[in-house]
This record gives sequence, structure tokens and C-alpha cells, in this order.
Amino acid sequence: MLDIILAELIITAIITFFLGKKLAAIFSLAISSLTLLAILDWAGNFGFFKAINLGIESHMNLNIAGITLHLGITPLSWFFSLMILPLFPLIMLYSYSFFKENNGFYPFMMFAFTATFGILLARDLLTFFLFWEMMSWASFLLVYRSRDRGAIISYLVFSTFAAFAILFGIIILWQQNGSLMFSSILPITNFEGFIAIASILTGFAVKAVLMPLHAWAPFVYSKCDEPFVAFLSGGLSKLGYYGMFLFLFSLPGLKMLQGYMSNVSWQYLIAVIGALSSFTATMLAIMQDDLRKLLAYSSIGQLGYVAIGFGIGTPLAITGALFHAFNHAFFKAVLFLAAGAVAYRTGKWKISELGGLAYRMPFTFLAALFAIFALASIPITSGFAAKWLLYEAAIEKKYIFIAPLMLIAGVGAFLYSFRILYGVFLGENRYPHVKEAPKSMVAAMFILILPLIIFVIFPGYILDAMAPALKAAGIDVVKHTPFVIQTSLAKYNTIAVLITLIIAMIPAFIIYKARKHRVTSFEDNYLAGEPYELHGKVSMHAAHNFYKPLEDVSRPYFEPGAIYYFERIYDGLKHLSNGIRRIYTGFVQDYAIYVIIFLLFVVGWLIWM
Amino acid sequence: MVSYPVLLIAVPLLIAFLLPLSKKYASSIAFGTLAFNMGLSIALFFNVYGSGKTYEIIAGFAPPIGIFLAIDSLSAFMALIINLFAFINFYGIGKGKDYKFSMLYLLATAGSTGIVITGDIFNMFVFFEITAVASYALIASKKNEKGLEGAIKYMVLGSIASSFILIGIALIYSQLKSLNLYDIASRIQNMSSNLKWISFSFLLTGIGVEAEIFPLNGWVPDAYQGASSGIASLLSFGPSKAAIYAIARILLTIFPYHSTYEIALYIGVITLVIGELAAFMQEDVKRMLAYSSIGQMGLILIAVSLASQGLKYALMAAFFLIISHASAKSSLFLLSKDEKMNGIAEKYTGILSVLTLIGMPPMAGFWGKWYLMLASISYRLWIVIILIFFSGIVEAGYFARYLYRSFGEGGGEEKRYKAAMVTIATFSIIFGLLPLIYKIASLQLWGGV
Repeated sequence: MLDIILAELIITAIITFFLGKKLAAIFSLAISSLTLLAILDWAGNFGFFKAINLGIESHMNLNIAGITLHLGITPLSWFFSLMILPLFPLIMLYSYSFFKENNGFYPFMMFAFTATFGILLARDLLTFFLFWEMMSWASFLLVYRSRDRGAIISYLVFSTFAAFAILFGIIILWQQNGSLMFSSILPITNFEGFIAIASILTGFAVKAVLMPLHAWAPFVYSKCDEPFVAFLSGGLSKLGYYGMFLFLFSLPGLKMLQGYMSNVSWQYLIAVIGALSSFTATMLAIMQDDLRKLLAYSSIGQLGYVAIGFGIGTPLAITGALFHAFNHAFFKAVLFLAAGAVAYRTGKWKISELGGLAYRMPFTFLAALFAIFALASIPITSGFAAKWLLYEAAIEKKYIFIAPLMLIAGVGAFLYSFRILYGVFLGENRYPHVKEAPKSMVAAMFILILPLIIFVIFPGYILDAMAPALKAAGIDVVKHTPFVIQTSLAKYNTIAVLITLIIAMIPAFIIYKARKHRVTSFEDNYLAGEPYELHGKVSMHAAHNFYKPLEDVSRPYFEPGAIYYFERIYDGLKHLSNGIRRIYTGFVQDYAIYVIIFLLFVVGWLIWM
Repeated sequence: MVSYPVLLIAVPLLIAFLLPLSKKYASSIAFGTLAFNMGLSIALFFNVYGSGKTYEIIAGFAPPIGIFLAIDSLSAFMALIINLFAFINFYGIGKGKDYKFSMLYLLATAGSTGIVITGDIFNMFVFFEITAVASYALIASKKNEKGLEGAIKYMVLGSIASSFILIGIALIYSQLKSLNLYDIASRIQNMSSNLKWISFSFLLTGIGVEAEIFPLNGWVPDAYQGASSGIASLLSFGPSKAAIYAIARILLTIFPYHSTYEIALYIGVITLVIGELAAFMQEDVKRMLAYSSIGQMGLILIAVSLASQGLKYALMAAFFLIISHASAKSSLFLLSKDEKMNGIAEKYTGILSVLTLIGMPPMAGFWGKWYLMLASISYRLWIVIILIFFSGIVEAGYFARYLYRSFGEGGGEEKRYKAAMVTIATFSIIFGLLPLIYKIASLQLWGGV
């Protein structure tokens, strides 16, 4: 049955090449939703409800090119497939009205889906790497559609780098264990094992957009089709963290790291990289005026939290990290899709050129609003619960460097989310003739925010879903009921949080209602109220230089970032290349001399060595 | 007794020299001959594949004098690639070409095939000469300044190379009084040590010129740039692959020593790094592809040198790298007829070939990369592995730029040309998915390697 599913996905990918755009969308939507049945079917095995029984086996072998590939489902891969795979049908639903023609989007998305499925099911190193590379080219072809120089080159180069880093680690593990199976990887603590795990983690860090290996993300996220970027940020980055979790905790990677060099806390290093990544990216996100670049840096920042969680390494932190990864998959997908919907109607990306769309696109606004709540971790959505767990874990461990950075990044997230909210949706209605986004787009966005709203009330269910994966990796499960998460410092009770929130909202609402609008003249900027024009009552919109004071202060420190240094490396390679090309002088006499020198060299080497 | 593999060389040679008799139908006759050769090479491949045996065929007289063919898995595979792609390539470019072109094309194909199936070192030299002379003329057949320049450079270096090969053979013959490869291999210890190394150096240098090894490859960029697309494509799957086969034969069968392995490995690594770096900033598409070919040949040489130490994975890597490079680079050269990739078929061919070269699954290039890594980690060649990775990243960089720049709109090539290009590129997927190469590469090579 598993091979049928994989074959079906690949055949769908090939067929969709030849279909018209509507048909291709419907077809790939149908096939990718069918595959979700497999997840539901496996749900019974991992402590979830027993949904349906299709008898989809959990292990099987495939043969290609004379090699046996081992596939199988584990609690961990099941949890991650619960997180990533639902994005696909919804993105297809969204794309139904997004694309004007079928020029390669659906086939490559289906290939990407196949690859994701394969990565999650892989049970040996070769299968994992094979599907990982398949993912690389499928996503590269989707990036290629953007025809943007920076995006194409940076994505292919960084993907190749990541692939080689992972391959390097994999072959060392193969050499040490004599087998490619995950189950046969032993915690051998020597230098080579250490290098293997470090190299594999570096490879995953590229896809998990951890700084400083994030340099491709701002280019790619800001230039490609929005539905694809929603997958890239929501799904593909999670595969990077899936790999990290798999190799660190499920396989004995952490033991191999710590066993070789026990005087350095490598886990703490991961947490520091995550914290710096989320802090820096948040500061950069605040400065962006391009909506897509802002969301790109926001993704980098938010994904840093997951690394922090893995780095802190307590059961509470890892639970928080996985929970946050789960939320991020959905809210960031919604935000990118909403940005796509806005651009679909207005054709604009700059926040300062947009405004007032809440009046014209209320449903898009509502979906984006919930996503922003989750992003800024406001307790109406489950974004709050996840970050709460992470903060608590950092405080519990007394990480005085990481916890403040996390908090600053949290406030920063609120700042840039407000910029989106105000700059795009509120203020002066600049596009009076714009219509609401097409129905399929709105439907996709609304389905995507459902989990965020459900799991704010029942965070325990998510913990239930990840519990078998944690148990299998030897990590304790945080005590919980559907409504309450019990930690060592405090008790997180969703009902209490929601009631407090509502009670706190009442006075705020009363104050808001009782407030008198002060009407001032247009030139009067002393009162800093909303300036109403005397006639017409149109609120003015000022999203230019939104956080100018903050930007002026922080820009000098963040501007020459990692991208600058990668560009210098590129320049260095250019010089090297131009130097080497001088060897080829173009004179055949020189070439003849090279031949003689080569001959003498070989003779000399062989005789005297 | 004349067995059928002899026809692989005999028929195209005979027809080539008869072509001037029928100038009008020359290209059709050449096409038919290539089709016949392709069929024969497929039969030969599956014969070796099915029986798992090696063939030793003697035509005419006893070994020292008569023509001696030795066919094992590697040569059957190489013969298949050369003849298959020669046929498809000719289908795309050969229509309406005059008899001289068809004749030279047949000679180059027959010569390359001869190199890979012969078991006699002097015959190998003769076939090298045939291939090289035909290639000079084919490169110059574009009849412009660039073509002539490339051809002359190739000719100067090729002449030096052939004299070097001849000196190497003469040295061996002076000591062992034999030209049979197997015979030489079994008695190579009897040679005086210094002469052994000197003859190896002459052979390596001579064949290295044809196999595009650094620093013997000065002719490569000019020749590929000057040649028409179809001929550049022929050069990249025909003569250069036959030459790398010859190096493999010499390293695997005659000189499987540690010192020869080391020197081949280092030269391979240097060739790889220099080729890829030189391609990095190259603006002209054909020159860039030529430099990239140099890099890929270095990669194949690394695999071959590791295989000479008896690493099965390295041999497998060599098989996969040869097919991936032959199919991807040939289709890219065919594609380089225009500056831009116009049309859908052209775009997907370009992307597919680039992905094969970078080593993405399920294309053959992936398996090449994978097995090469397994082989090099077995010997813990850390620096080699890191340099392979480095050049792979450089390669990804310039191919990404290539894909970005050459994206074009508008109509594509004519149908036959396009079909040839697409078919050649598709073989990298076919060989990457089917277990053909895996099985044939695990057979034992001729001479017990």
C-alpha cells in the first residue's frame, strides 16, 4: 500500500504536467488529500483516536537501481507528517484560483510532496538522503520559476552545500557502523563520529534557516510564488528540524557529540545559535518594508525558537519546541498565503504602498489577524502556549543569556506583526475597488487557522500526539491533561488564561468605547492622534519609515550581515577562477610545454617516490 | 572464426570508406550503419549482462599477430554508450550533411568503439589515431576561424599524444615482446622497474591528452567552442569517454600499483578542482561546458584510480559517472546551439542535465556521487572528499547561473534535433532507475580485476 501511495504521487506529478490549470489543481488536491488518510490510519498506533482502518502497513522495502530502500513509519515521523503534510492539499486549494496557467507549479509541488513523504518514512540513511535530494531538486525547480538571479543561485548553492554536508556525515556513519539502517547506528564516541553529527546538523541548519546559513532565505522567500513559499516556510523548514530531532534525540547523535568533547556543552551552543538567530532576524524583520522580506526574516526568527528548544534539551523545552514548530507550520503558511492574496488583488508588496484592506478583504484580514495573534503569541491562539513553555524552560534552566534574547525577540515579533496589521489592513482605504480574495483562497486560509484556535483550548492533545515520539527518544513527557500543562514552575491552565484575557479585555474595551475622537488639523502632529480630515473623515495612513527611530539605531549593527560575507566569498571565488583561467593561455606552444612538464613530473614521481 | 563484435568496428570502417561512391545517400547510409552498430552494441551489452562472462575473440590468426578483442562488462557498457548516443546524436544533426561529414562521423564512432573493445595495445593506438584524425576534421568542419583554431590546437597536442602513446607501447614491446593487454599484464613484473614507470608515464600522458586531464587539456576549451554543437556532443560521449576507458584499462589491468593509483588520484583531484573553478567565471556557454567537462573527467579519473585498488564501489561510481556525464553533457552541448533555452523541451532537457551533473536522484549522477563517496571514505581520503564537495558547490553555482541566464522565450529547435537532445538526456534517468548498471558493474572485469 505504501508503494502504491508513492507511485500514485509520482504518477500524479507526471500527469499534472499535461492538465489545464483548474483540472491540475483539483487532481493534485484530491490525490494529496487521499494521502492524508494514511496519517489518520496510523493515528491509532500512536495514542491518538482510532480513526479508520485501511491497513496501510507501517514498514516496507522498495528496490531501485539495485538498492533496497527501507521505509517505515515511527511516532516521530507521524507527528511531523501531521504537521507538514496537511499543508499540501490546502496549498493546492489556494492555488486553484491563484495561478493564471499551469506552468509547472502542480507537478513540482507533487514531487515535493512525494519527497516529503519519503523523507518522513525513510528508515535508512540512503533512503533519507535520496528523498532529501529529491526534495532539493523539486523545490529548486519551484524556485526556478521565479526567474530571479539571487533566488536561483543562492538556493541551488545552499541546497548543494546542505546535501554535501549531510552526505559527508552519512558516509562516515556508514563507515563506522557498516550499515545504513537507522537502527544500527551506535553511539561511537570518537572524532569522526563527532564530525559526522556536526556536519549533518550543519546541513539541516540550512533548510531550518538558522543563522548564518539563512542567507538564501530572504532572496527565495521574497521572490517565489506565495503558495510555494508557504510550503517552504511552513513545511520544508520543519523537515530541517525533523532531521535535527531524528539525529540528535532519536538516534544517538547527542551522545556522540557530548561523548567526544564533554567539556563543551554542544546543546547549549545550539540554543545560543537559535537565540541569536531569532534575535537578529527579528531586528531585521522590523526594518523591512517589503511584506515578503518581512515575513522571510520573521520565519527565520520564529524558527530560531525551535532550535532554542532543542538546545535547552529539557522535556519541557523540547515539548515547547515541537509545539511551536507545529504552530509555525500553520500560522506562517497563513501569513504567506494572505500576503499572496493581497498581492493577487492589489499587485503590491510594499507595506507603505498598501493600506485599509481590512474594509475590502475582511476574510483575508481575519485569517491574517489570527495568524498574527499566533505569531505574536497572544493567548487567543495556541502560539501563546508554545512560547510559554519555551520561556519557562529557559527560566527553569537559568539561561540568563538566552531567555532575555528570547523575550526581546518576542516583543520584536509583536512590533513587526503590528506593522503588517497596520500597514496592510488598517488605515486609509487606498484600494476602494479591490474585491475579497477568491473563495478557494479564503477557504484554504481559514482551514489553516483552525488548529491554532482548537489547540489553544486543548493544548494537551498536541502533547498527546508528540508523546510517543518523545518516549521513543527517551525523553519524559510533560504531565498534562487536555486543558492543563503541569510544569515544575507553574501550571499552565488554558481556561484560566482565557478567562483572565477576557476579564482584561473588558476595561480596555470600555476605555476604547468611552474615548473621544479628537479631531485636529492635518498639520497638527503634536497630539499624535489619528488625524481626521475635516470632511469625509478619512483616517490618514503613514506606514513610511514605520519604526524609523529603532531602525536608525539598529541598522548599523545588523546591516553587514551574513549575506555580506557570503558575497565576499563569491568575489573571492571569482578572482580565483579568473586566475586559474590564465593557465589556459590560448597558445598551443604553452600547452605543448605543459605536456612535457607533466610527463617529466610523472616520470620523476614514479621513479623517485 | 569471425564473431559478431568484430562487426562493431569492421562495418562502420568499411562503409565509411565506401561512402564517397554514393554521395547522394551518404548521410542515410551512415545513419543505417549507426543504427546497425547500435543494435549490435545493445545485443553485446545484454549478452555480457546476461551471461556475466567476458569475451575474448580472436579474428584471423593467433593472438600476437591477429586482431584480438577482449570484451568485459566495462567495454560492453562503453560500447553501448558510444554507439547508442552516436546514433541518436546523428539522428538529430546528420540530416542533409555531405558525405565527408558522414564519413568522418562513422570513423570517429568506429575508432572510439575500437578503443573500448580491443584487447591489443597496438590496436588501441591505431584506433586512437583514427578517432583523433576524424575528430580534428570534424571540429574544423564548421569552417570558421574558431573551428580551425580549435582543430589545429587539438591536432598539435593530439600528434604529441599519439607519439607518446607509441613510445610507451614500444618500451613495453621492447621488454616483453608482446602487445596483448592480458599477456602484458601477467608479465609486467618482468619489466625493469624504471622502464615500467617510464612507459606508464608516456602512456598516461599520451592518453591523458585525449582524456582531457589537467594540464594536458589546453585544446579542450577551444576545440569545444569551435566545434558545432553536434560535434561537441560527439566529442563528449565518444573520444573522451573512450580515452578514459583506456586509462581505466591501463590502471586496472596493467599497472594496478599503489604509486600509479596515487598519481592518478592526485591528477584526478587537481583536474576536478581546476576544471570546475575555471568554469565558474566563464561567460561563453560552450567554453563553460568544456571546462565543466574537464572537471567531470577528473571526477571519473578519481573513481577509476580508486577502482584500480579493487574497490567495487569505485568501479560502480565510474560506471554511473560515465553514463551521467555522457548523457548530460552531450545534451547540454546540443542545447548550446542557441544562447537561450527556447521551448519547453529545451528547458526541461537543460534542467534535467544540470540536475544529473550536480548529482540529484534518481538520475545516474546521484549514484555516481554516492558510490564515489562510499569508495573514498573506505580509504579515508578526507581531503579528496572535501575537494569533491567544494567543486560540487562551485559547479552548482555556475550551473545555477547558466540556468538563470539561458532562460529564453520563443520557438524551439527543429523536431529531430529536439528529439535527439531529449532522448540523450533521458538516459540518465533510465540508467539511474533500472538496476542495469548495478548488476553489470558487479561482474568481474576481464583479467580478473
